[in-house]
Amino acid sequence: MPEGNQTNKHITEMLDNTSIAMLSESELLEIHVHTLDCMSCRDAFEAARLSAVVIKSRAEATIEPSPFFQTRVMAALREQQAVESVPAMLRLWRSAKALVSVMAVTTAALAVVSFIQPSQTTPVVDQTASAYSAYSVIMDQGADDQMSYEQVLSTIYEDDDDAR
Amino acid sequence: MDLDLARQAQAGEESAFAEIVRRYSPRVFSVASRFFRQRALVEEAAQEVFLKAYTQLGSFEGRGSLEGWLTRIATNTCLNMVRGAKRRPEYTVSDLTDDEQGWLEQQSAGDGGEPASVENSIVATDLADRLLSVLSPEDQQALLMIDGEQASIKEVAEATGWSESKVKVRAFRARRKVREAMEKLLSYKRA
Repeated sequence: MPEGNQTNKHITEMLDNTSIAMLSESELLEIHVHTLDCMSCRDAFEAARLSAVVIKSRAEATIEPSPFFQTRVMAALREQQAVESVPAMLRLWRSAKALVSVMAVTTAALAVVSFIQPSQTTPVVDQTASAYSAYSVIMDQGADDQMSYEQVLSTIYEDDDDAR
Repeated sequence: MDLDLARQAQAGEESAFAEIVRRYSPRVFSVASRFFRQRALVEEAAQEVFLKAYTQLGSFEGRGSLEGWLTRIATNTCLNMVRGAKRRPEYTVSDLTDDEQGWLEQQSAGDGGEPASVENSIVATDLADRLLSVLSPEDQQALLMIDGEQASIKEVAEATGWSESKVKVRAFRARRKVREAMEKLLSYKRA
């Protein structure tokens, strides 16, 4: 039995070592004689034979170049050369142009919101406060400039009258 | 002749490079066809090969043939393209189409060693792709070149840049895996 296993191993190694088409006549004869009695080696040989058929069929399935392939490659080459001929900084600028533009617009918008908008809203708030609050009339010097002395007094005493 | 053509192309002569593409595109397509079945993918790979070759023309010293040099670039370019593809862990008889089962039955019954008709050839090619998908792309190439195209170990070593012993190991391993996968399919069918 061990001798039989050794022969089986020998047969499968023979099958795996070389393409079935490259086996010599003596090797094929050896396999043929052995597989008359050995079922497992017969299966292995059959599988190797069918594998060789499908592999050969796969290798023959080649695709031919189309008549336009040469033109396609030359066009791709010209395109590649055109890209390479543009300086690196210019290529960087071209690809980043959109991003830089968006960032510039965003920065400008932020600047408008931060500096221009607050200076328009602040006086409105101050005027409202000075018209109705005694505290703001006394404490807010900017508001004093805009009111007469009588207006200040009337605002103070008006609050006192309301309190009584 | 090859070297002159390569030098002219390198110097910027478009017609020289166009001639290289015209002359060697069948060979590059043949290599790419081993990796891909769809025309679009084969053309994409072949274009990539020629663009890469153009940038490396300076490294061609004319010691070997331009065809051999391009074959090596083509093999390595295609290997890089397919390296990310997933391998099938195992292939079972339930994955077989009716046509493939019919083909196997016909072949097992001894109705012909070669796939005669175009339909049979397509079925055999599909079956080969399924069996090969259990292998690494490198092992697939070794098997297809040696068993499919009857290339010698030396030729495969030159085309891939692997050592001859590496080619032998890859072919042995691939042959065994494919044979075992086929054996399993046949045993399922018998059962």
